[in-house]
Amino acid sequence: MDITQNNTEQPSGHGVPAEPRQENTTQRYEVLQELGDCHTSVGNYDQAQRCYEKAASVGPDEPGPYVGLGVVALQKNLLDDARIAFRVACRLDPDCSKAYAGMAMVAQQNGDYKSAFDMYLKSLELDTDNLTSLLGLFQTSCRMGSFVQVTHYLEAYLDMHPGDTSVMFSLAALYMKDGRAEQSQKILLDILTLDPTNQDVANLLEEVEHKLAQRESTE
Amino acid sequence: MMEKDHKKKAEPLVSVLLPTHSRRNSLPTALSSVVRQNYSNLEIFVIRDGGEDVSDIINSFNDPRIVFIDRPENRGKAFSLNQALLRAKGKYIAYLDDDDLYYPHHIETLVDTLEDRYDCQVAYSDLYRTYCRIGPDDEREVLSKVLDISRDFDRFFTLCFNHTLHVSLMHTREILEKTGTFNEELNVLVDWDLTRRLAFFTDFHHVHEITGEFYHPVGDSDRISVLYRKDRDEYLKNFLTIRTTRPPKPWPKIKDMSIIFTMDGQNEQVQDALVSIWQHTFYPYQIYLPLEQSEFGKLNVKIPNIVTVPVESQASNEQTIDRALAKCEGDVIAIVPAAFPIRNFWVEDSLYALINSSVNKEAFELEDSTDELWAVVLNKGDLEYARKNFPHLPLRQSLKAAGIIIRRVLAEEIPFQYDQLLEQARAAGKDGNWLKAARTFGYIAEHYQNKLWIKGLAAKAFFKAGLHTQAAQLVHQVNQQQPTVDNLLLEAKLNRQKDCKSAIEPLEKAEQMLDFSFSQTCQNDPVFKEKI
Repeated sequence: MDITQNNTEQPSGHGVPAEPRQENTTQRYEVLQELGDCHTSVGNYDQAQRCYEKAASVGPDEPGPYVGLGVVALQKNLLDDARIAFRVACRLDPDCSKAYAGMAMVAQQNGDYKSAFDMYLKSLELDTDNLTSLLGLFQTSCRMGSFVQVTHYLEAYLDMHPGDTSVMFSLAALYMKDGRAEQSQKILLDILTLDPTNQDVANLLEEVEHKLAQRESTE
Repeated sequence: MMEKDHKKKAEPLVSVLLPTHSRRNSLPTALSSVVRQNYSNLEIFVIRDGGEDVSDIINSFNDPRIVFIDRPENRGKAFSLNQALLRAKGKYIAYLDDDDLYYPHHIETLVDTLEDRYDCQVAYSDLYRTYCRIGPDDEREVLSKVLDISRDFDRFFTLCFNHTLHVSLMHTREILEKTGTFNEELNVLVDWDLTRRLAFFTDFHHVHEITGEFYHPVGDSDRISVLYRKDRDEYLKNFLTIRTTRPPKPWPKIKDMSIIFTMDGQNEQVQDALVSIWQHTFYPYQIYLPLEQSEFGKLNVKIPNIVTVPVESQASNEQTIDRALAKCEGDVIAIVPAAFPIRNFWVEDSLYALINSSVNKEAFELEDSTDELWAVVLNKGDLEYARKNFPHLPLRQSLKAAGIIIRRVLAEEIPFQYDQLLEQARAAGKDGNWLKAARTFGYIAEHYQNKLWIKGLAAKAFFKAGLHTQAAQLVHQVNQQQPTVDNLLLEAKLNRQKDCKSAIEPLEKAEQMLDFSFSQTCQNDPVFKEKI
């Protein structure tokens, strides 16, 4: 008798695993990438670089380590190295919002506001949550005097993160420049509820209210 | 100092068995991890099971504790281990594969446990599953180290499922006189076969400590056992051989089960039913098959553990049972009609309840039992009493007349409650219901065993459910006692949300753990240095 003709299996059910567990092969990569990010955050750029380089060798298809290397190079003011690293990240993952944000920062540092603006926009298209790109876009917009697209992204971001006072302040400033003083006033008052001691907000609010009073008197 | 010296003098000899076959690259690491144990009273058998010459590697260690059995022909793992066992003199036996690794405290931990626990002749610890990528020069790059199982001993589970790797296990040499040595007919699951037999004779003690690593290549495996598993026919033959192995009696830890088959004159069903029992039963058994003399030659099955019981053609069902009962060796008896549906756990659920019941005179109807196809499992003594005192009554009535309570098993009485909950929690996580998963893990940690490991899983589930405060508390607690790479990584992610500086320490510790095998075990070895 051929036993293999029959459906003989290791018993499953009753908690006995029917199939092997999923492979977990990303620990080393994750540890090195996290460690790189932490060292960057506390200003240990050489250690961060060591971690990112190792992470890149463990996960050669991952954009993360190259974004990290780009950030470290930016901090060291090595703009060419930073640009190369961000480009590699972009090539590995054409949808990497952080890589575009990095390239935008390099362009911004080089004074190329047009390219920086376009790349911040691209970065935000990929991830509307990217705060670096949002604030970068705001800064480059201020330099270029073009605010329409920025307003849209700031509003979208605030829908997701309603209490982010730095973005609220940027949006209030843009409304003010755009002549939408009532909307600006409302946001500034909201910020002051959250942060009553914020002097920049208080100053801008004073300016906005002055403008509103002027408008009322002319009407 | 005196105490330490005394302890040193009392160190019993441990025989470590390390079979090897064409793994020149990993053998130095494995052997080095044995040579560098904190525990020195070792005899280390390296058995070359054919394949490439490794004598230069062995000689380079220049360690008199190494006994090299240099056999050019490949005879298989079981044969190699038996060859070493014939020469082993240790009080305890430990095993290592040529691609795995002990941590320096492995032997010491298990010896201490066995010396302290006279009730156990087997101890085992936890192991990391080490995921490796093989580079172009055959070098291994460690990608992850995962503790994917940490399970206390459960005899039923050991009979059913291979969860204790031999790399993590140590047993007395003495117990092999009862279990027998390795089965040389097997070419896969050789370890489980012995582990399963050990469970007939002793309890195992689980040490909740990670004391080594076993290798798991990413992608196609070069492990010999994995290659054999790909041959499904061969694998199944091995699997069924193991499950039907009955070591010599007496079995102090296992109640033998006799299955009495009642046939109702439909002999054609018998063959299928026997095969089905063979396929689906993991608990040790013998089938008592009542047959008329004229039918003896007609049965065309080569299934092990069948005892034929001659009966007359006119014998009633009860007479058949009584005739079989007189021959039964089992401590518990299952009475099963030939047409009874057989599936996984068909008898084990009720059997488990019976074995663990503290009530005298209880019989358990099998779950799929009906009035037409009535099947029951009960203690042999109870059945004998009922049949002796009420021989003229039908079976069920005789049991009732003897005061035996017949009932069905309750949900909380079936085996593997712990494993079922674990699977439920994992399934909830797989479905994205991480809160349910976390709560289930929490429940397991409170009510069952392996608390640290389960708490780590609960922390991960809380993290994924977005409940970071609970996750942080749990994972910090676990890492204080038994840090693992996974848990350190989780703690770092949680710390980072507040302050990056406090995330650095757990991450650096995790990195050290991932680097362990290369940085600490091997770097000082002459062979390893030469290789680098």
